[in-house]
Amino acid sequence: MLPAWLAQVLQVLTVALGAPLVSGVIAKIEARLQGRRGPRVLQPYYDLAKLFRKETLMPEESSWVFLAAPVVAFTCYLIVPLLIPELTNFGLPLSYTADILGGAFILALAGFSVSLAAAETGAPYAQLGSSRAMTFGALIEPSILFITFVVGIVTSTDLPFVEAAAARSSLSQAILPAHLLAAIAFFLVVISDTGRIPVETHASTTELGMIDEGRTLEWSGPPFALLKWGSNMKQVILYVILLDVFAAPWGLAGSLAAGSVLLAIPILLGKAVGVGAVLTLSDNTFSKLRLFKLTEFMAAAFLLAVLAILTLYVGYA
Amino acid sequence: MHPTPDPGTFSGITEGLAALILLTEFAMLRSAMLRSQVRLYSFQSLVVAALASAVAAARGIPDLFILAGLTLVLKVILIPGIIFRVMRGSKVDLAGSHRLNVATMIFIGISVSVFGFLAVEGLDIHSATLPTPALGTAVAVVLVSFVVIILRGDVVSQAVGFFSLENGVSVASLVVAAGLPFIVEVAFLVDLLVAVVVFGVLMRVHHMKADTLSTDVLDRLKG
Repeated sequence: MLPAWLAQVLQVLTVALGAPLVSGVIAKIEARLQGRRGPRVLQPYYDLAKLFRKETLMPEESSWVFLAAPVVAFTCYLIVPLLIPELTNFGLPLSYTADILGGAFILALAGFSVSLAAAETGAPYAQLGSSRAMTFGALIEPSILFITFVVGIVTSTDLPFVEAAAARSSLSQAILPAHLLAAIAFFLVVISDTGRIPVETHASTTELGMIDEGRTLEWSGPPFALLKWGSNMKQVILYVILLDVFAAPWGLAGSLAAGSVLLAIPILLGKAVGVGAVLTLSDNTFSKLRLFKLTEFMAAAFLLAVLAILTLYVGYA
Repeated sequence: MHPTPDPGTFSGITEGLAALILLTEFAMLRSAMLRSQVRLYSFQSLVVAALASAVAAARGIPDLFILAGLTLVLKVILIPGIIFRVMRGSKVDLAGSHRLNVATMIFIGISVSVFGFLAVEGLDIHSATLPTPALGTAVAVVLVSFVVIILRGDVVSQAVGFFSLENGVSVASLVVAAGLPFIVEVAFLVDLLVAVVVFGVLMRVHHMKADTLSTDVLDRLKG
């Protein structure tokens, strides 16, 4: 039996230490799909280690906000894993300190602090990225809100653990249309928030197509490493919410037995790589939408989330 | 933990199919290519057939199997085939006939669907064959297909919008009157065939006279 605090620490460590690995494996899969050999799967760790050894340069105009933002964002990404079903299918002591909206707020705070600092640098591309990130973040927000409502109506709570438990409880709950529609809507939200193809070409070098990526252009050295690491962690966190709350809440430890909690770690990372592989496939299948057509994508996510609510409303209200 | 009362696997599957029909209708609102419009209609009819056979199997109404079969032959294969054949002469494939931008059209669609769902909720109908949300979905399909007809400015989309309206009506009839006399159901399908012939002639004539499938030129006088 593990003590509960240790499981809690393991949750954070799994995301923090596993996130670069997940990114590395996904990058490898993507390269293979495109017929390239691709970087080593451990490359993200080497990148981070290199960046941590470099010096920090600041734009002349910027203030302490510029240096604080990466730390704030990174801290937020360390907090969120405490709140979501990640290794265990029941809540650990700190898991109930914030509900699903609280988690969304903390994620939003991370995005906001980076956008704020990017806008402060005065660099044109960073400002472009930060204004776009805020605009499209606001457009995808209604979908997130409605997905939260689905959780609220299905479980009559606002806890991600209960939604996952409802989906696990029986087949008919798992294929409840509201649940499926919300899962697909959340999948679209993940695509938008991790900068995947219909929305943004991730890891591209054309600044004019950038949204999230564009914001980080001004940072260097350790703060940039924190940002990169943070965005890896954000990706895993969103995958975990998609998987363990909506799409596949299976393979979690049912008790604090050391074996099952430790087994849940590779299962979690494996599932995350699985989602990444699906996203990579869709990356290679679809083309990027024009920036002004992105509203269509956001409208689709919103449509799914609203339909989820409607099917619930008529049936059980 | 208080999950909602277990709705049962059957209702989950059928509601899911109904939601898929509605989503296809929204896809018609968006799709830019005329041919994909027709393919969407074919897919939507396929889902309707699947829904009908699910009801037939679960509720023991063998008539519905025949209806599903007829739907498959007519609406999935024959009617799209006829429309493709009519369209073969015309070179225009890209419709781009959205009267408003797509996001706005989707929002209008969402609003009318909400209205449809709330209206059904107000009616307090309980069906023995299908869960009530399926009726709400069916009414939403009918309303959204009106939006398709109104906001798309080309003959093909309008015809497909009309045909998919009929799909919505058949889903509604599955919910409220699955035991409808078979002859009435067949009469609906024959009606649809007449509509297809009419729309086919309309498309041909319009394309011959105006050299386009868009309806935008209809307000121009011809001497």
